[in-house]
Amino acid sequence: MSRRPRASGYFRTNYGEDLSLLPTRLERLALLGVLVVLLALPLLASPFLIDLAAQVCLAVIGALALMLLTGYAGQVSLGHAGLLAAGAFTVGILFKEFKAPFFVTLPAAAAVGALLGVVFGLPSLRVRGLYLAVSTLALNFLVAYLGGEYEARRGFSTGIIVDPPALAGMAVTDAKAWYLILLAAAVATLLLCANLLRARSGRAWAAIRANETVAQTLGIGVASYKLLAFVISSALTAVAGALFAYYRGFVSVEAFSLFLSIQYVAMIIIGGMGSLAGAILGALFVTLFPYAIEASLGALVGASAYAGLLFAVNATTFGAVMILFLVLEPQGLIGLWRRLQTYFLLWPFRHRPVGGARR
Amino acid sequence: MLLRLQGASLAALLLAAPAAAQDAYTIGLTGALTGPPASTYAPAADALRLYVDGVNAAGGIAGKKINLILQDDSAEPGKATANAKKLLTQDNVLLLLNASLSSTFAPVVAEAKRAGVPVLFASSVCPKEVYPPADPLQFCTTAFASTYDSRATLAFVKETAKEPVKIGFSAMAIPLSRAEMDFAEQQAPALGMTVVDKEVIPPPTPDYTPFATKLRDAGANWVFSWAPWVTQVRTLEALRRLDWKGDYIAWAHIEAEGELARLKDGSFYVVGANALFQEQLPIHQEIATAAKSAKLTYPVEQLSEGWIAGMVVEAALKATGWPATPEKLAAAMSTLKVDTKGLRGGPIEWTKDNHFRTRQYYRVYRWDSGKGAIQQVKDWTGFDVK
Amino acid sequence: MQLAVNIVVLTAIYALIACGYVLIYRVSRVLNLAHGELLMLSAYLLLWTASLFAGHPVAAIAAALGLSVAVGAMVYLFLLRNLTGEMALAAVLTTVALGVLLRGLTVIVWSAQQHYPAVPLGLANWAFALPGGARISLWAALLVATTLAVYASLFAFLRLGRWGMRMRAAGQNPLLAAQRGINLHAIYALAWSLSTLTGALAGMLIALDSGLGQTMAIIGLKAFPAALVGGLDSLAGALLGSFIVASAEVVLIHYVDPLLSEVIPFLVLIVVLMLRPWGLLGTREELDRV
Repeated sequence: MSRRPRASGYFRTNYGEDLSLLPTRLERLALLGVLVVLLALPLLASPFLIDLAAQVCLAVIGALALMLLTGYAGQVSLGHAGLLAAGAFTVGILFKEFKAPFFVTLPAAAAVGALLGVVFGLPSLRVRGLYLAVSTLALNFLVAYLGGEYEARRGFSTGIIVDPPALAGMAVTDAKAWYLILLAAAVATLLLCANLLRARSGRAWAAIRANETVAQTLGIGVASYKLLAFVISSALTAVAGALFAYYRGFVSVEAFSLFLSIQYVAMIIIGGMGSLAGAILGALFVTLFPYAIEASLGALVGASAYAGLLFAVNATTFGAVMILFLVLEPQGLIGLWRRLQTYFLLWPFRHRPVGGARR
Repeated sequence: MLLRLQGASLAALLLAAPAAAQDAYTIGLTGALTGPPASTYAPAADALRLYVDGVNAAGGIAGKKINLILQDDSAEPGKATANAKKLLTQDNVLLLLNASLSSTFAPVVAEAKRAGVPVLFASSVCPKEVYPPADPLQFCTTAFASTYDSRATLAFVKETAKEPVKIGFSAMAIPLSRAEMDFAEQQAPALGMTVVDKEVIPPPTPDYTPFATKLRDAGANWVFSWAPWVTQVRTLEALRRLDWKGDYIAWAHIEAEGELARLKDGSFYVVGANALFQEQLPIHQEIATAAKSAKLTYPVEQLSEGWIAGMVVEAALKATGWPATPEKLAAAMSTLKVDTKGLRGGPIEWTKDNHFRTRQYYRVYRWDSGKGAIQQVKDWTGFDVK
Repeated sequence: MQLAVNIVVLTAIYALIACGYVLIYRVSRVLNLAHGELLMLSAYLLLWTASLFAGHPVAAIAAALGLSVAVGAMVYLFLLRNLTGEMALAAVLTTVALGVLLRGLTVIVWSAQQHYPAVPLGLANWAFALPGGARISLWAALLVATTLAVYASLFAFLRLGRWGMRMRAAGQNPLLAAQRGINLHAIYALAWSLSTLTGALAGMLIALDSGLGQTMAIIGLKAFPAALVGGLDSLAGALLGSFIVASAEVVLIHYVDPLLSEVIPFLVLIVVLMLRPWGLLGTREELDRV
């Protein structure tokens, strides 16, 4: 938990306050407001916007899972797309081979994810940093290869079509219903992550991230907590992949390229490492940004005569903005927010007075 | 700042939604306009845009313009689905065009079916569903067609070859190309050919020589490749560097005309369904003039595929009339006959259960080193599609 | 015999690309995932200079190489320099973003179609027979020769030259190196320039041999496992890793299943990472946390 004051004049006076997720009334009110807006969205927005919102919800689940692993436990992973693919293929295969309903396939996807988490996590016991990133990358390619071979051998050359899941006998196809389901899933993931982080596991991960040797001397089982981080993160990611398969209605290896892994890493970096809110902001940003560029460029250029080029411009701008962000604001969006907060907290001063009251 | 930018654009999106043109035929395309396979699909999208601009400049279809919305999917199925959703739900398109890899087909078709909107495959390979018995909502104008292409090619090889044919195949490691080469492998023995080798080559391959070595060492005197252009031509080049003297036959993709002139290889045959621009038909000149004034980046000989799609779209919308609905359009499309003005061997004719064409025509070309020009080896040969 | 030649050519391709990864990683501990895009950019630059100096291949190639070196230095000075001291992952991600940017940019400028820079340069590609019945194309032979020359001069440069010694020192301990008066930024910029130079050589030779398109960026990524197998901070390792990966690939294509060639580099990589995570010839090191 962050130790910075959250509001002017508010200081935590006991341990319980330090543990609580939303200590001040203003924060509770703000959350209520956000929830109302999120729930009211389907009534107001166009179908395209609802689809975007659903995509953001899916990205939020994946980004939170990766944030848990990388931002808190300090284990880098470039195999995120592989885990999403594993979840999606679990759904696809179980559906095609056994006609399994979603209440079977979703837990199965989580189980497969957890299992893969152990596999992905094993190298972390030996290697760290970039080498760990690369070994997870290699596993990512393996999962993709296996999925691709399944598709090719079973003759699903244009992807596996998955029927929409049936809830109470009704097939869920409505975009609004999907949005609400995915929103609920994202909120549940957020709560799960927040609770894991304020429990023993969160403190263990923070210790491992800060210094493995010290963590060990404190009596933390480094290996088991590392694996736990991988297992939980992978299971959540696989569930996100499974939801993706149902939401999109199909599974295909080509949907899980290396670029997807990179996008997820971009989400947590752009959002801000070590912050769940950062993961959400990052997911929002990375998912919506291409559409935002497209819309603003479209408005800017006016004529669509250069449409073919417009998309290359889109890719270029996305790359450029990502670079600008990394170079100019390495703390991410949450860093921007915190700076803003500090500015108002310290006002009229620009810096903390020397020997200030707290810290 | 970025957040604000996002908010502003989102607001723009929200406001733009109801402002879609009410007084035009709105059609949408999702295609691989960027990304690795873009060179096959982007020219088609450009040509389609060019054609539609031409129609609009001439006053549209009975006074109503065509509003063509292009969306890039970078050949990613996920992006293609999002595009399809956007085009169907926000832009309310009458017709969805697909110009991308086959892995985008399933999700795009699923979305279109849900909305009851017809899908036209233009420059992307024709899926099984457009052949008889055709799916009511799927149509295809693309020149190349699985199984028919192999039949035509093998028939040509059989009548051209002077000695017993020992044939090798070269496919790209994508499902479609693999399946087609598997089909050809099964067909060849019945035509008295010996199949000696089949190579499946992954797309990002820095050196094709290892694959070519296997084909050469297997003793092939003919090699047939039905794959994206890169795989076809790089297998050939690698074979030639290994001093392989056999005959090579491949599909005439949009790049073929320029490439035949570059390679200048007398035993390299291309089978195709589009007339090459060297024929200088009036329609070819029309395309060239339009491309020149619009300053397109792609060479003019790569534009036929998109132009044909444009002709078909125009004819279909004309037959539908105003006001158009997706149902009326689908109905009009299932009894459509479009004169291709020589770009193809015959008209594109769709019937209730055939959304490919009733008769598919093939031509074979090669480079004539004597004359220093492309030579037509075999004129239009028709195959009935049943 | 042809099999051996194929292995040598593929080894040369991978090795020439892999040394770009190694140079940057060894000196600045940054993994440059935009290497594939940078070498593609160099090949496109050749296409541009080829149109400027049509018929003068040497001038065109020299100009394109010069431009590539400048690009490499600029990438460091304008991007990576600002990230010194940030987490390793941020630097990696910056290179990824650069890759996305370059892919888009090359399509804007040169369109997505396949190009053949050899045509405007008036260069033909012929093949000749080697003793033992094998054949090799001119550009492939040149590529092998270039790879040998590049590795020989890099070894000499790093062992013997003053700047080479500075580069090694910066790679071993940047803090101490800086305190001994070595200009770290100049060293890092030099490493980036050298890396793009070798990448440019690879990109141009591949483009001259078999054309140029958007897939070239992926070829850069294929050489990446080779660099890792050998050890990311060892030039000799890059050579060895390239040889292992290339032989595994060629032999499997020939005797087993051509489809395996896509996963084999990564399977080899996983095995090596499990047994010797720092690579076959790499130095064992304590890696940073994220």
